Amino acid sequence: MAASPDAAPRPDGPSGAKPEDLVLVITRTLAAPRALVFKVWSQPEHLVRWWGPQGFTLPSCTMAFHPGGAFRCLMLSPEGTEHRMHGVYREIVPPEKISFTWTWVDEQGDPGPETLVTVTLEEAGTDGAHTKLTLHHAVFESVTARDAHGVGWSESFDRLAVYVANL
Amino acid sequence: MQMSADSLSQTFAALADPTRRAILARLCAGEATVSDLAEPFDMSLPAVSKHLKVLERAGLVSRGREAQWRPCRLDAAPLKDAAGWLERYRQFWEQSLDRLQDYLDELQMKDAKEGDDDGRKS
Repeated sequence: MAASPDAAPRPDGPSGAKPEDLVLVITRTLAAPRALVFKVWSQPEHLVRWWGPQGFTLPSCTMAFHPGGAFRCLMLSPEGTEHRMHGVYREIVPPEKISFTWTWVDEQGDPGPETLVTVTLEEAGTDGAHTKLTLHHAVFESVTARDAHGVGWSESFDRLAVYVANL
Repeated sequence: MQMSADSLSQTFAALADPTRRAILARLCAGEATVSDLAEPFDMSLPAVSKHLKVLERAGLVSRGREAQWRPCRLDAAPLKDAAGWLERYRQFWEQSLDRLQDYLDELQMKDAKEGDDDGRKS
């Protein structure tokens, strides 16, 4: 497939746009030991204290924290608008990796596009008090699509990324 | 914050296929006929037409009315919406991670305090 006649830049090439332009990758170094960071992702009583943008709250959140287990949370905006999110944990490797699907569900209970979030935690520095968190949120590549194709991003996505960036 | 619009679902479903992404990438360079699009893929015209229908339904591609070759062109508006959607997720996470650090600070302060108390007891 996708043998572009005028060779687009390769996803891992030294120059040009990267697939990351159309997939979210956020990296943070947190001032906390890795085990603690893992813990606040893995237990609902901790998760509700920080998950969501400023001013949002999570009045209810249930989670079965194991591969194949589901989470369901109700999120309230500062104006009181309800947002429901559902997902399923795909992979859990304490204390270094959590991956889960994530879907917003509308008022009728219909799910939106399924996305896949992968959080990896690495020790940062040698003091045992810092953790590098990398969050990867693949929006376009649904889990089913990925499983069906067994491939990640094609080089054609690079050109789309450039195009969208220039819109 | 609502991110579950039907049109976005269609856009993302259309973009989930590598052949369709390649077709869109080709159309970034300008209009093309179905046979132009089929050429690099080693695919039959009906197979390419099927992909084009998905892209048309998602509003990503429109086709000329000229009976014979009906050139395909990219309609970028849904792509722009998709990019905006992605940006909202970025804000969601950036703000969540700010709150995460605040919460971790709070937990560690509490731990340190309890640690001191323990120290005094022993």
